[in-house]
Amino acid sequence: MAVLGRPPWRRLGACWGWWGGRAAALQQRQPPWRLKSTNPFTREQEQEWRRRNRTVLMYVAAAAVGMIGASYAAVPLYRLYCQTTGLGGSTVAGHASDQIETMVPVKDRIIKVTFNADVHASLHWNFRPQQTEIYVVPGETALAFYKAKNPTDKPVIGISTYNVVPFAAGQYFNKIQCFCFEEQRLNPQEEVDMPIFFFIDPEFAEDPKMAKVDVITLSYTFFEAKGGHKLPVPGYN
Amino acid sequence: MSTAMNFGTKSFQPRPPDKGSFPLDHFGECKAFKEKFLKCLRDNNFENTLCRNESKEYLECRMERPQIKNLSSRRSLVDQKESFDLSLEGIQR
Repeated sequence: MAVLGRPPWRRLGACWGWWGGRAAALQQRQPPWRLKSTNPFTREQEQEWRRRNRTVLMYVAAAAVGMIGASYAAVPLYRLYCQTTGLGGSTVAGHASDQIETMVPVKDRIIKVTFNADVHASLHWNFRPQQTEIYVVPGETALAFYKAKNPTDKPVIGISTYNVVPFAAGQYFNKIQCFCFEEQRLNPQEEVDMPIFFFIDPEFAEDPKMAKVDVITLSYTFFEAKGGHKLPVPGYN
Repeated sequence: MSTAMNFGTKSFQPRPPDKGSFPLDHFGECKAFKEKFLKCLRDNNFENTLCRNESKEYLECRMERPQIKNLSSRRSLVDQKESFDLSLEGIQR
């Protein structure tokens, strides 16, 4: 009966045998929040240490969280930085048109440009390139042809976009004239030649990341357009 | 095409042509020049350097077309005529 007078965490000690021994050992441990020192003189110092430890822990945790946040914020910030300084390949507008007259072809670097043509499933055009490949050098303007035919008996309006593989070479790929991003209307049974006039920037030859690139693939895809809509230029921003 | 999940890699941004798009040759008036150019390419193993004269001729043919010559009278399409001139300069160098 004296067991009931004890605090709850000390009642198990009344058990017999091995279990009693284990229970008694467990109960002898202090709850963790009690201070280690019973000496009143050192108790205050220990409290001071604990307070300081907690402060340091808070600072370290805040720094860790701050680092994680900074690593997420770095992505848009870096993009902004690149756009303002023009480093890292984001091209400056108006670059190509000024240099066409003055650029010098880099004759020792021959690049093969292959052509690919795709059509969206709902657009029933026959769209294909008229040459499989063309060998150009950076700084030299080149002409290439695609051909599209509308085999249906209704006029169809298509609009196209393009893609350059490898992606990083796309920044050097300048088109002076092409048929993309504007609605093109083909009458029934009409077949038309679509020219592309392009050049590869001479700075391509100086980019170390492009040193191994010898083949660039230009791929055009046609989609059906509803007439009169003005489509935005595609891309991620 | 790159997906939106690639934070690290640069995504490809197609750029429109600097001066707009060609008015297409719907009537096939310059088809002969185009055929000459393609034949030159096929004969020269698709090397662009050797066929620049033929591409110049094709562009001159397109420039001569009335619908392009009259472009200078339409303000919104002045740029297209400029781009033809630029193209020719590029070829003639």
